This record gives sequence, structure tokens and C-alpha cells, in this order.
Amino acid sequence: MDLGLVVYAMNLAAIYALMAVGISILWSSVGVINMAHGATFAVSGYAAWIFTGAMKPVIAGAFGTSAMATLALAGALVASALIAGALCGLVIYLLAFLPIHDKPNFQVRALIITLGLNIATVQTLLWYFGPRNQGLPKIFGFGRWEVLGTRIRYDQAGTIIGATLIMALTLAWLRYSRKGLEVRAMMQNAEGAAYSGISRQATALPVLMLTGALAGMAAALLSQTIFVSPTSGTIPLVKGLTIALLGGLGSVSGALIAALLVGFLEAIIGAVPFLGQRYVLFGTFIFIIAVLVIRPRGIGGLLDDTRE
Amino acid sequence: MNDKVFHKVGRRPWEWRGKPDGDTERRRRRVPGTKRHWLKWRDVHNDKSLTRERVLADKMPLWWTLGLGAVVLVTPFLSNTMIGVVTIFCIYAAINVLWTLIVGTAGIFSLATLAVVGAAGYVAAACNVYLGVPWPLMFLIGPLTGLVFGAILAAPSTRLDGLYYALLTMGVAEICRVFILQLRALTASGGAITNVDGFIPEDWFLQRPGLLLGFAGAFVLLLGALLVWRLVNSERLGMLLRVARASREDEAFAEAVGIDFRRARLMVFLISSAALGAVGAFYAMYFGSISPQIFSLDTMLLLFAMMVIGGLGRAEGAVLGAAIVTFIDKGLIELGPPRIILVALCMIGVTIFAREGLTGARAQFRDFRNRKSGEARARRTEKGGEAMPEEATEVHDKQELYYRRFNKRLRDRLKQLITPDLIAEHKKDPLGHHSDGLARVLNYFRRGEMADKYVIHRMKPAEERFRIMAISGERGRPPRVVDDREYTDIKEAYHAVFLLRVNDLMES
Amino acid sequence: MPELLEVQQLSAGYGPLRVLHEVDLTVRAGERLGLVGLNGHGKTTLMRALTHMTSWQQGSIKLDGAEIGGTRSLGAGRRTSGLVRRGIGVAPQGDAIFPGLSVRKHLECGAHTKTAWRTRQERIERIFDIFPPLRPLEHALVGKLSGGERRMVSIGRMLMVEARLYLVDEPSLGLAPKISERVMTALWDLPVEGAMIIAEQNVALLTGRCDRVIGMHAGRMRGDVGHVGLG
Repeated sequence: MDLGLVVYAMNLAAIYALMAVGISILWSSVGVINMAHGATFAVSGYAAWIFTGAMKPVIAGAFGTSAMATLALAGALVASALIAGALCGLVIYLLAFLPIHDKPNFQVRALIITLGLNIATVQTLLWYFGPRNQGLPKIFGFGRWEVLGTRIRYDQAGTIIGATLIMALTLAWLRYSRKGLEVRAMMQNAEGAAYSGISRQATALPVLMLTGALAGMAAALLSQTIFVSPTSGTIPLVKGLTIALLGGLGSVSGALIAALLVGFLEAIIGAVPFLGQRYVLFGTFIFIIAVLVIRPRGIGGLLDDTRE
Repeated sequence: MNDKVFHKVGRRPWEWRGKPDGDTERRRRRVPGTKRHWLKWRDVHNDKSLTRERVLADKMPLWWTLGLGAVVLVTPFLSNTMIGVVTIFCIYAAINVLWTLIVGTAGIFSLATLAVVGAAGYVAAACNVYLGVPWPLMFLIGPLTGLVFGAILAAPSTRLDGLYYALLTMGVAEICRVFILQLRALTASGGAITNVDGFIPEDWFLQRPGLLLGFAGAFVLLLGALLVWRLVNSERLGMLLRVARASREDEAFAEAVGIDFRRARLMVFLISSAALGAVGAFYAMYFGSISPQIFSLDTMLLLFAMMVIGGLGRAEGAVLGAAIVTFIDKGLIELGPPRIILVALCMIGVTIFAREGLTGARAQFRDFRNRKSGEARARRTEKGGEAMPEEATEVHDKQELYYRRFNKRLRDRLKQLITPDLIAEHKKDPLGHHSDGLARVLNYFRRGEMADKYVIHRMKPAEERFRIMAISGERGRPPRVVDDREYTDIKEAYHAVFLLRVNDLMES
Repeated sequence: MPELLEVQQLSAGYGPLRVLHEVDLTVRAGERLGLVGLNGHGKTTLMRALTHMTSWQQGSIKLDGAEIGGTRSLGAGRRTSGLVRRGIGVAPQGDAIFPGLSVRKHLECGAHTKTAWRTRQERIERIFDIFPPLRPLEHALVGKLSGGERRMVSIGRMLMVEARLYLVDEPSLGLAPKISERVMTALWDLPVEGAMIIAEQNVALLTGRCDRVIGMHAGRMRGDVGHVGLG
């Protein structure tokens, strides 16, 4: 396997992991399958597009065309995407969590509401911006590195590094902060969490905003490779959901491993001459279905060795 | 003179009630070939008029007839476009009813319903166009394909549950779409098969007679779907599943009592898949073509929105939802893209406020009203009430509640009357003239319930030895002895009973 | 002594089922109260009703004179976390544990007040002093522990914060007699200020150690059993 393929696979895996980990955390701690994750993705992309479009003249005026200008633009892009993602999380909290979280059928109803939100948002974007693709400024530039005889594009490297950084930050937050501990406690036993003085309403908001921000980050990173369009969130949503399921919903490490697996699988299928790019989705689904039929709890089921 | 009629609270005066003749035997017609009755008539006793009345216990058949009849009557007078809309509504409603069977009755959360329809439609259309099979045979090929496809889909459903299976079926639909798009033979038409023969003659295509014929076919299709739904739900298969669903928390329980619900679920799945195959064949015939659009996520979501708005798992919900969404999506076409937003907003609104869609709103409102009135009753009767909010809604006889409330107030008032003076008065003269207070207390005691009522037992005839006993309140069960104290004076015994009763009163 | 908890006419249950019937109960500050009764006679429901974990309840519950009860039909557990923060420590039946957390993290979860979080290091040390078997297991996952160790973690979690009222539900349930004896002994030797209610089926474990023992039968209080009746 050559290095280019590995980098490509890592690139895919990084984006998938951002989506899947968000979906997985949200499901196990709050009990919402967030179908609006794709909408969050698209909204963040558009927010970044609008904001960078507005900031470009300002930044050009302040820094000219120096390296500082690129840096400021990158900051503006990432920050706007993150903030838009978090705000989407807030909207989901207000619509799909707060009114119904102690009513019957909460999980199914939350799924339906987020699904409705997804459709409504995507259609609104289509209506307002039209189906045209929008290109965002390339914050990593267009160059390539020569490493061990293969070329690595800057945006690929940037995506991998950025995603790894964000994932590491998220995991560290979950692991070491007090709020993260509360989230993990709620993921594992909601009733026990209540007995430990952890409020569901107070924990759900940061989790929803965090997962929204993760989707925003994924949008910002993916915008370096492909264009932003109203429906650009659908494929990441479906991929994120499938990978979260493959990882065994609720298992963060399972989702990470699943993202890596699927990333490599897609890269390999795309590279094999007689299969090619057309069979990527096909192959991934078949792989996931096969794994789930053999191990119904996904990869997380293999990792979890605690007693029932 | 007095022509004003007073109705009991909760009684609906507009509701028609039969007045059966008590002398003649009751005759009910049965559905030919079965033991079922056409309508569920029940005889009830009217407490007020003391007569027998006949009511329709299950009014759903009435609403179905009215609704479907209205569709048949109105459609011929609509414009050409609207006839098309109604036809599409019928097709979607048929698919939704069958989907309801899978989701509601079988409890399998499959999202591949449209994939089954599409696959059957494609195979039937391909047989017609490329192999020259005549169109009536498509109705055979469709269900067969549906059955095979359903069997393939059903295999993993025993192993995966809920979300995992939903995802898998979504994946299958996507695989179908990609597969069709990549077929070399169909690339010229973008994956669509066109020029499919159908039951509508070619020169009638898109003409008014053709449209009406199409509508008639689609309506028959909807009726067929409803028939399948009804048959499955009312026969052994559906009943088994209903039992299994009642103990959903514990599927092991259903297995332990001998219900093979897995097999029943698979059977329901296969039956609806075959029926969906027939819908697929009809779909290809009606439009004269079939395109990969049918496998797309958007179409699936549109149908899902219909079910959600109407109420997941109910046939009437599936049809009502189909009517609403089809009207918004196809009827208000001049609105442009915002109509999908409208559908999504409907979906969000209904889900936030209704527990089980629009058709479940009535039951939800009743629950809400019962709960609120129960709570209010509990609050109102806090001083004197004995009924809990939940209990108050359970006690059917409201008189019972008021009696309890009255009793409690009475006891509270009597408790205040009981003083050492009063007891001394009774001790002095258990029988004979009493003061007003004592008379009231004694009257209350006399009225007490038979169970646990105290009696004095003369231990031997003509001997002045008494014991106090309590009546069991049950026929055939002897009274129990309260304590082993013996009294030699009947007056003393009277007073002891009085003290016991006072004690009980003060403790209650 | 002032009255810490005052329960009046409390009824509670699940769905249409009514389990508690007009229960009256008073707990004074610093008191150890035993609650005995057979399976299914409402001990656990009383514990759950006090923390709003049942699906409905009616009547009055006063903690330090402030009303915390009320009629509710929906949302079991919605106010539980708030009540815990107001000073009720709970070790529920069947140990509501977090299987994927280590013992230390698990105990940290219990430190929900600001001061407790700041001094969690000392507090965890104190718990380890109370339950010495936990010390070597500090970094083990709770899900891998034995039943007795889990019970200790669960009680330790409750003890991370000084509550005014501790509710311990069936501390001996499902444990070997020897281990349950040890857990109970540790529980009695606790240097806690607040009042404690312990629900227990095994009367012998409570004998001679409580300030008061109350029996429960068919969802009603059966008065003070006292020590005599248990001998």
C-alpha cells in the first residue's frame, strides 16, 4: 500500500470520525439520534462561506497578502463554522430535547423531530441559496509536500491534523473535565447520574452544542476538499450514522476504530482497478451490514468487557 | 309539558342509539365464510330510562366508509391535475398502509419499503419491456419479486434490532439506487425504464378517461392494501403479535408462553412485501415508467413524514398522513420549494405536541383531560377527599367518590364531638335518652358497614356473660372474637363496643 | 431535636398502580432509622418517592421545613438531581453504577458541590479509609468489580458529599452474609452528621444498631417496631 492511499484514507477517516463521534456521544448521553447532524454540517459550511466572504476585504485591508492574512482567514473560517454548529446544537436542544424529554416515546420522537429539522433546513438552504456549489477560501493553500516519494496535498494534511487535534481536545474534555465526567456518567447510567446530582437538562445543552461544533469542524475541514452545497450534509450524515452504528452506538473508541476502518476500506475499494469509485458506497454498506449481522452490537460490543 | 331533556354528564345526546325489542331474539349478520360480524353492536343498559339500548362499540368502519366514499364521490368532478393528485394519494396511502403493517404490527423498523416497491416495479417493467410479457402477468411477477426481496430483507431482522435494522434497510435502498444507476443498459435514460404497458389504453394516456381509469385502479389498490391490513390484524397472526407486543419489554416472556412471535413477524413481513410488490407493478403500469428516484432517500422521507404526521402504526394515520402530505406536496405545487419545508414543519409540530400523530390526538386529549380532572378533584377534595388523582380517574362510579368525600367530612365533624363528657354520658346510660351530640355519633355508628361491625355475644343462653365479636362481612364466615375479655353486665358490654367504635373513628 | 424530614400522607406508585398509601414519617436530624418489611411492601418505593423517582405521588414531603413533594404525573426523575443537590444522599437498590468508569472517577461523580469537588482528593481518601478493600482497586473499572465491591462504591459515592439525609436502600441485597455484615458494619460506623434511613429485609442486621426501626406492610407504616419486637 503506498503512502498516498494511507493519507487519503486518513483524510476520510478524520472527517467520518468527527461526525460519528458526535452522533455516538449524543445518543448515549442524551438519547437523541441526531438526524439533523447533516443540516448542522451544511449550515456551518454556509456560515463559514458567508462570514469569510464578508471578512475577506477586512482582512485584506489589515494584513495585505501576508501569511498573517491566511492565518486570520483560517481562524475566521473555523471559528464561524464552530459557532454556527454550536448554535445549531442550541436549536436542536430547544426543539427536539427540551419540550419532549420527559414525555413518552422520547427517543423516537426526538429522531423524527431532528429528521424534520434536517429536511426543513436543507430545503430552506436550497430555496435561499440555490443548489449551486460554493467554494470556500483555501486556508491551507494549494501546495503539496513531497514525503517519501508521494505527494501530500496541504488540505489533506491540514484536515488530518485539524481533525486529530479537535478529537483529542474533545476526548480530553470528556476524560478530564468535570462536565465531561458528568456526561460520561450519564452515558452509562442515567438514573445513577440523577442520584449523583447530575441534571439531564443541564448536561444535554453542552453535549448538543459540542456535537454541533464537531459537525461544524467537519464542515470547515471538508470545505477544503469539496464545495459547500445545501445537500452536502447528507452523505456525511449517512456515513456518520453508519459508522456510529458500526462502532456500536455509544462507544467513542468504537466509533473511532470504525471511522478508521471505513476510511481505509473506502480508499482501498476506490483504488482497486476493477471496482473503482462507483462501488465505494456499495462496498462500505455491504461491509457494515456483514459486521452488524455477525456482531449485532458493533465494534463497541467487542471492546466492552465489563459485566452486565 | 316538560319537553326539556336532561342528559347524564358524559353522554352524547347526538349519538344514535338503537332501541332493541327485548322480546325478540337478537340476529346479527356474519361476514360470509367467517364467523365475524359486520359491525360491532353492543347492548348496554341505560341506568336512567331503565331500558336496553344498542350502540356501535367500534365506529372505525363508519369513518372509513365515509372517508373513502367521499374520495370516490368527489374525484370525478375534479380537474385533471387534481385527479392525478388523488391517484398518487391512493398509491402512497396503499404503500403506507402496508408499511404500517410492517412497522406497527410486525414491529420491524424497516425503511426499505420503497425499495421493495421499486425492485418489484423494475423487475415487472423489465419483463414487460424487454421480454414482452403481457401486462396482466406483471401483477404476478410483482408480488413474486416482492416476496423474494422481502425474504432477503427479512433474514437479518431476527438478529438486528431497531435502529441497526433501520440503518441496514436504508443501506439496501441506497445499494439498489446505485445498482440501477450503474446498469449499462439503462444509462441512456438515466436509469429509468420507459414505455411500460399498462391497464390504461395507450390513446387514453393523460386523457380524462385514462386518468379516471387510473384513479379507479389506484383506489382498488388502496382497498386491497386495507384488506390485507385488516386480514393480517384480525387473524391469528396479528393477534399473536399483539400479545407479544403487550409484553415487549420481555420478549422472552412471549417465547416462554409459547408464542413464536419471530416467525409471526417474519410472516407479516413477507405478506406485506408481496403486497408491496403488487403496488410496485401497479406503479410501473400507472406511470408507464419507473425511475431510480423511487429508491432515493427523499421519497422515503416523504412517505415517512406521512406516517409520522398521521400516526405511526395506525392504518387510519397512514391514510390521513398520505392525504395531508400529498395535498401539500402535489396539490400546492405552485408554492415551489417551500412546500417541502411546510411538510417538515408539520412533521416537527405534530411530533412535539402529539404523542402518536394526528389520529392519536383524541386519545391523548382524553388522557390529558382525565389526568387534569383527577388532579383537580384531588386538589378540591384535599380537605375531605379520599381519592388519589389516579384513583379518581379509575373509579367509574362518581357517586362513590362523592360518598367517600361526604363520609370523610362527617367523620371529621363527629371527631370533634367526642369528648370525655360524651363518653361518660354513654357509660352512665348506654341505652335511653341521649344528648344531641351522642345521638349523632351513635347514629353514625349504626349506619356503618357490615364488615367488621361489632356485636355482643352472649356466651351461654340465659347466662350474663358477654364477649365482643366482629362480623366478618362475608357470608358463611363466622364472626371473629375481638378480645378475650368477658363482661358480666350487658351495659358494660354496650359501652365497650362504643369505646371500640370511638377508637376506630378517631383512628380513621 | 429539630425535625429534618417530615412526610405527611404520602401516596405514590407506578402508572395506575398505587404502592404507598398515605404514609406519615418523621425523621429527626442525626437519627438512624431502620425500615423493615418484606419484598414488595413499599420500602424501595418510599425511597424512590422521597427522591421523586416514582412516576407519581401525592402528599407532602418537607425537608428542613421546605416543601419538596407535590402531585406529579409525568417525568419520573426530573427533579431527582435537584433534590440530591439540596442535601439528600442516595445509595439506590441495585447500585446505579457507571460500569465504564474507574472507582476513583466514580467517586468523583458523587462530589457534586463546589467544595466537595475542590477537596475530592481528601474525600476519596476518606472513603478508602472507610472501605479499605477499595483502595487497591482505585483504577479498576467498576463494571468488573464484584457485587460487594460495587455496593461499597455505591455507598462511597453517596458519602462524597455531606448530605443532611442519607437514603440507603437494601445494603445487603444479593450479597453473601459475611460481606453484607461487613458493609453494614461500615455503614454503622460512619462518622456522618446527617440522618440516615436504611431499608432492609434482614432484620437481624439492623437489630440493636438503629435509633428507631419502623415496619412497612402493604404500603403502610406499621408503627415503631422498636427493639423489643425484633429480639
